[in-house]
Amino acid sequence: MRKWMQMLGLAGVVVVASMGAQAQEAVKIGVIQPLTGSVAYNGLAFVAGAKLAVEQRNAAAGVLGRKVELVIEDGQCRPANSVNAAEKLVQRDKVVALTGAFCSSATAAVMPVAEKYKVPLLTGVSSKADLTEKGMQYFFRSAETDRLMSKTFSKILAEKLQLKTVAYIGVNDDWGRGGVEDFSKDLEALGVKTVLKEYFDHGATDFYTLLTKLRASKADGVFVAAETQDGSILVKQFKEFGINTKIFGVGSWATADFIGLTGDASEGIYAAVPYASSLPGERNKAFVEKYSAANKEKPGKYGAAGYNAMNIMMDAIARAGKAEPLAIRDALRQTDYAAPNGRYRFTEKGEGYGFDVVLVQITNKEPRVVAQSQTEKP
Amino acid sequence: MELLPQYLANGLVTGSFYALSALGLTLILGLMRVVNFAHGELYMLGGVMGWWATTRLGLDFFTGLLLVAVVMAAFGWLVDRLLIERIRDQGEEPGILLTIGLSIFLANTALLVVGTAPLKVEAPLSAGPVFFGDIVLTKLRLFAMGVCAVLIFAAWLLIHKTRLGRAMRATFQDPMAAQLAGVRTANVYAATFAMGTVIASMAGMLLGSIYSAQVSIGGLVSMKAFVVVILGGMGSFAGAICGGLLLGVVEALWGGYVATGSVDIIGFALVILTLVFRPYGLFSKRAERA
Repeated sequence: MRKWMQMLGLAGVVVVASMGAQAQEAVKIGVIQPLTGSVAYNGLAFVAGAKLAVEQRNAAAGVLGRKVELVIEDGQCRPANSVNAAEKLVQRDKVVALTGAFCSSATAAVMPVAEKYKVPLLTGVSSKADLTEKGMQYFFRSAETDRLMSKTFSKILAEKLQLKTVAYIGVNDDWGRGGVEDFSKDLEALGVKTVLKEYFDHGATDFYTLLTKLRASKADGVFVAAETQDGSILVKQFKEFGINTKIFGVGSWATADFIGLTGDASEGIYAAVPYASSLPGERNKAFVEKYSAANKEKPGKYGAAGYNAMNIMMDAIARAGKAEPLAIRDALRQTDYAAPNGRYRFTEKGEGYGFDVVLVQITNKEPRVVAQSQTEKP
Repeated sequence: MELLPQYLANGLVTGSFYALSALGLTLILGLMRVVNFAHGELYMLGGVMGWWATTRLGLDFFTGLLLVAVVMAAFGWLVDRLLIERIRDQGEEPGILLTIGLSIFLANTALLVVGTAPLKVEAPLSAGPVFFGDIVLTKLRLFAMGVCAVLIFAAWLLIHKTRLGRAMRATFQDPMAAQLAGVRTANVYAATFAMGTVIASMAGMLLGSIYSAQVSIGGLVSMKAFVVVILGGMGSFAGAICGGLLLGVVEALWGGYVATGSVDIIGFALVILTLVFRPYGLFSKRAERA
C-alpha cells in the first residue's frame, strides 16, 4: 500500500512539474531512475533520497533564490527507455542538469545524449569502472566502483577474518563477475587462496547444489556478490545447509529488508557498503532522522545515493551563480560536498572520491560498523 | 564422487517442486488445449497472497493455504467464464494472446500493489538442517515434498475417480457428445481452469515459504514449467512427475560437475532433444491425450 502511495506521489510530482513549466520560476533537475521492473525497489529509494534533499533545500530558500523542482522519469534500467527519458527531459522540460540512470548499461547510453546537448549528467549509482574512462566532458559519478571497494577492504577483510582460503559466489552478470574478479585478485595478492568460483543466474532460487560444492571446498570464508532478492535467499540457505563459514560480500546487504527476509541467518555476516545508517557523526544522524520520518524506514545505500547526488548538483548550481548547464558543469568540477558519509570531490574525469566506505557486520539485526575508510583519489 | 548422493537429493527435491509447479500448466494444456502463459503469474499470486495471509492477516500456514486455494479457485473460475469463454473454439492463437495479456496485467498489478521487494511467507516448520548420513536436507523441504505428493495425488484422484473428473474427461474428448449426455460443459471448463489455478497458486505459496515470494518471478516459473511439460508430454500426470524429477536431477548434476552459472542451458537442451526425437514427450501415450 505504501509503495502504491509512493507511486501516486511520483505521478503527482511529474504532474506538478509539467504544470510548473509555464511558471519559468523553478530550477529544474531531471531524474532518470527505474520506477518499474526488477530494480524498481532500489530506484524508488534513490528518488526518496533525492526528494528529501530538494525539500530541505527549498525549505531553506532554494538555490539562487529560486525553488528547485525535480522532473522524474522512468528509465526502467533499460538503455532505450533511459535515452528517451533523457531526450524528453532536455528537449521538453528544459532541465538544466540530469541525474541517473541507475544501471551502468542505461547510464552509458544516456551519456552521449548529455554530451550532445551539453547538459551535465551525474550518476549516484552506476558502478561499472569504465564509465569515467570514455572521455566524456559532462559526466560525473558520485558512487563507489567495485575496484575501489575491493582495494579498500581486501586487506581489512583478510586480517580481520584471518582468511586462508576463500570461495567466491556471484550473480551471473557484469557486476557480479566484476566483483568476484576484483576481490579474488586483490585477496590472492595478499596470499589468500581461491578454492571455488561459481556464478548463478538472476532469479535463481535453489542454491543447494552450489552449497554442496562450497561445503566440499572447505573454504574459510565465502565472498558473495548479490543484490537483495537473490542474496537473501542464498544467505538463508547457507544456514539451512548447516554451513557456518564466515560470509562477506558486496551488494545492498546492510538494509532492513535484507535482514527482515533472512531473519537469524543474517547474523554475523559482513558487508562492504558505501553507506550504512549506523555510521557515526552528527550529519548522518540528522539525515537518518529526516529520511526515516519521511519514508518510515532507515536509509540504505540507494536512499543515501539519491540524497548525496541531488545535494552535489544543487550545490554546483548555487556555486555556478546561474542555472546554465555549462556553468553548472564547471562548478561540479569544484565540488567539495560534506555528505553524511564523508566529503565528496571529483577527479578531472568526473570520478568521485574522498567519501567514506564502510565494512559492517550484522549483529542483533542491525548493521554495525566494523571498519570505516576514506576512498583515496584514484 | 562422495558428493553424488547430495547432488541427487538436491535434484530430487527441486525436481518434485518443478513437477508441482508444472502440474497446473500441463492439466490446462492437456484437457482444455489452452496454452496458459499466465501460469507463472498465477503461481506468483499464490505466493503474494500467502505472504499477505501469513504476515498481514496473521493466519497460520495451513489456514492461509486454504484461503489462497478458495480465493484462487474463484479467480480461476471467473477468468474462464469472463475471458477464456469468449475465445473458446477459435483456435490456439487467441488463447495465447489472451493469456500473455493476462500475465502482463497480473504482474504489473501486483507490482503496483505490493511493490518489488521479496516477500516472506511464514513457514509451518523450522528450516534447520536434517542429516541422513552425509546428506543434508531440511524438515521444511521434506515436508514440502510430502505436500507436493499429496497435491499431485489429490489432483489425480479428482480427475480419475470423481464424477466431475469423468465430466472433464468426457467434455475434452467430445464437447458435443458430453453436452448431449447432460454435462454442463461451461461449468466443466471453468472448473478445470479453476483447478489449474489452485494448483499453481498452492505451489506458489508452498515454495514461497521455502524461498521467498517475488512479484517478478512469473516468467521464470512459466519457462521451467514449459520445459517440464514438453519433457513429460502434455496432460500426463506421470509425465509431469518424471519430467520434473528428470529436470531437477540433471540440473543438479550439471551444476555439481560442470558449472552452476550455466545450469539453465540444460533444461532447454533437453527440450530441443525431446522435440527432435520424441515430439510428444517422453511419457505420453497418444491415445491417452484427449
